[in-house]
This record gives sequence, C-alpha cells and structure tokens, in this order.
Amino acid sequence: MSNAPPRHELFLLDEGQDKVEVKMDTRVPNTAVFTFNREDHTLGNLLTAHLHKYKDVTFAAYKVEHPLKPLFILRVGTDGGISPKDAVVRCCSDIITTLDKVSREFTKEMELFKIARGGESNGV
Amino acid sequence: MDYMDMDTGDNEPAINVRDSNDLNVNFILRNVDLSLANSLRRVVQSEVPTMAIDLVEIESNTSVLPDEFIAHRLGLIPLTSGNIEKVQYSRDCDCDDYCEKCSVTLSLDARCTDERSNMHLYSRDFMVSNRADLSVGNPVIRDPQGKGILIAKLRKGQEIKMKCIAKKGIAKEHAKWMPTAAVGFEYDPNNLLRHLDLWYEENAKEEWPVSENGKLEPTQEEQEVFDFDATPNRFYVNLETVGGVEADRCFQQGITVLQNKLADIISALSPELANNNPVDDYQPRSPGAGGDDYGNGTSYGGGFSTHGPGAQSSYGGQRTEYAGMTSYGGNY
Repeated sequence: MSNAPPRHELFLLDEGQDKVEVKMDTRVPNTAVFTFNREDHTLGNLLTAHLHKYKDVTFAAYKVEHPLKPLFILRVGTDGGISPKDAVVRCCSDIITTLDKVSREFTKEMELFKIARGGESNGV
Repeated sequence: MDYMDMDTGDNEPAINVRDSNDLNVNFILRNVDLSLANSLRRVVQSEVPTMAIDLVEIESNTSVLPDEFIAHRLGLIPLTSGNIEKVQYSRDCDCDDYCEKCSVTLSLDARCTDERSNMHLYSRDFMVSNRADLSVGNPVIRDPQGKGILIAKLRKGQEIKMKCIAKKGIAKEHAKWMPTAAVGFEYDPNNLLRHLDLWYEENAKEEWPVSENGKLEPTQEEQEVFDFDATPNRFYVNLETVGGVEADRCFQQGITVLQNKLADIISALSPELANNNPVDDYQPRSPGAGGDDYGNGTSYGGGFSTHGPGAQSSYGGQRTEYAGMTSYGGNY
C-alpha cells in the first residue's frame, strides 16, 4: 500500500480545521505568522508578492514547509500603520478587485475578437 | 504596431486576444503582477472543476483487457463540462452514494458477434443518463468520423458491460479532472530581466532561438542599461483545453475560482477582526491529522472508497466485482 496522504487532503479541510490560523509573533512587534491550511504556492506567492507593494508592510514571506504538507506559512511584519491581519485582508480584497478587472477586460476583448473575426469572414 | 505603444497609458490590467476558438485561446495579459498571472495559470490547470468518470461498476468484462485497465482508460475520457455549476460535488450532495444532482451515468454495453472482424468500442457508444443538465457529461468527440476515443477492441463472443459514474472534481485530486491540455505561459522573451541564465556551448544567442513573441518587445541590443527595478508585465498566454470546456470560459472560471479562494481567506480572517482576538492555538498540522477516518466516506465520497491514493480513484468502490482498495490499492 502506498503511504501517500489522500489526495482530497490537498484542498478539503478536516472537520473543525480552520482555513487560516494566526499567531502574533511575540519577539517582533507588529508581526504575525499565518498558517494557511489546504493552500499552496498559488495563494502563497500571490499574497506575498502583493503584500510587498504596500508601504506599511515591512516584511512578507511564505514557505511551504514540506511538499507533502498541504499548507503554507506566511509571515507578515508591518510598521504599525496597519495590523498584519488587516494587511492580508486588504491584500485579498485588492486582488479580488484586480481579478474583476481582468475578467471584465477579457470578456470585452473576447467580444471584440469575435466581432473582428466575424467581419473578416464576411469580407472573404 | 510599435511595441512601445502597447505599454503606455494607464496601469489597469489589459488583455489583447490574438487568437481564439473553442479549444484554444491565445492572449497577451498586461499590467498585472507576475504572481497574479502565474496564480491564474496554476488555478486554471488544477482547480477548475470538470466531470470525469470516477466509479465503474463492471457487470461483465470478457475482453482481453483487465477491469482496472479499462477503468483507468474510462477515467481519462474528457467529458463536456460547460455547465458544470449545475452539478454538485458528490461530497456536498444529500444523497447516499450518488444521484442525478451530483453525477452522470454513462453505460457501456457491447458484445461482438462478428466472426471476421473485431469490434471497436468508442466513447460515442456510451449511453448517457441520469443527469441534471443535458450539456454535462457527454463524451467529447472531435474526430471527423465522430467516433470519439477508442476504449477497447472485442473479438467474437467477447463482451463488455459496465456502468460508469462520472463525478465533478478538480485536477488537484486527480489529473483526469484537468480542463486543460497545454497552457503556454511566457514573459520577457528577450530575457531583458535576466531571469534566465542560458546554458550554451559557444554562444547563447545562436543556440537559443527567440520565440515569436520576442519580436513584440525590445531586444537586448536596444536595451541601453540594465534596469534593476524592472518587473515583467506582459504575459503571453496560450490556453488549450481538452474539449470539455471552451477555452475562454475555462479562463473565466479560473478567475472565479481564484476569487473564491481569496474570499474564503477574507471570511476566515474577518470575523476575528471584529473582536480583535487572534487565534492563539497556532499549530502546524500534518496532513494526516484527523483525516484517517476519511475512508469511511461519511463526509465525502458517500460510502465508496472513491478517493484513495493513486489510480484507484477511477474504479474504487465496493459494489464492483473487485473490492475497491483492498485488492488493487498497493500496486500502483
């Protein structure tokens, strides 16, 4: 028998498991360590890269501790202007807004492409 | 068209669709972060739900191919998944095993009676039934003859009779649920950012051909000084699907999946924001913790050992003639 973890554990939370666990770092001010359960580089890299753009965020980095563990750990430090948790929440909603724009732009451009192509085939 | 013009203007995300048909969409994504473009690629490939055969109840198989071999082939057949939102995940459904709300039944029933030639069994030979939406769960057939995928060949007297249950799933669980074939993803074709350190025999420039997209951007010669602060902001994406979902729809679904993922994070963090009380019991968990009783299928999978490791996923289940995980589990 294989001892690989069941595949559904890559994305389904265990019963009672939290999606995100937050712990404030006691040694460094305004720093928190987040554990994102059942998430991977898709979200880890996305959040980290976007947190770097905020001027209040002084530190943001993530790690996937082990390739078989379906979680990543995100460490966020701020200058005190915003709490680390607020920074992550703001980051998430900013990305959602950006994705909305991407979606609208894609819909628009697809329509334009279809019109352009329709015009071409009529011309021929 | 001057390539410099395309980057000027506002810094809102922009898209330029270069080519598109139902299988393929080719576009340039501009003014987004590399991490965002890459997350979109990852999500489109691994988390957009599709339908695939997940359980196979074999009534009779006298062909030369073993049951699990055929079951594995069946699992990999692309099924139409355009209106996938009309199908529920089996694990979220109220039913015990599966029902028309959370599955599609595809039956195969064939027997060769021809003395002289073998019978070919194709994916068009499925009888599709018991489904929530007529556009979901049909085998994807794209060949000019309209036969679909060859599943097995039968000699005279051989018979295959099986009932396949297709379920909704994502490719993180098993690659058979992947909506995409190849997804092309390129940025900085002329390597101005020096993200690549090209290996060479004698001369990297001669030995590494630049892609077509390289003509749309400044070349190394045109670059005067290296810009240390430059970030990639043009991504050449070519998204090709296996036929279950239209390519443009697949991309839109990917965006939605990623947005939902982020919304989940917000809702997980925000309730605590209200009373400013962070969760204190920080404890990294191993993936095995608390998940061992999963195989009973109480919460997910409805009584079938459908979601075990490895390839059984496509044919596990106690109702088949072979008893699911116990007999075939270890050897793959």
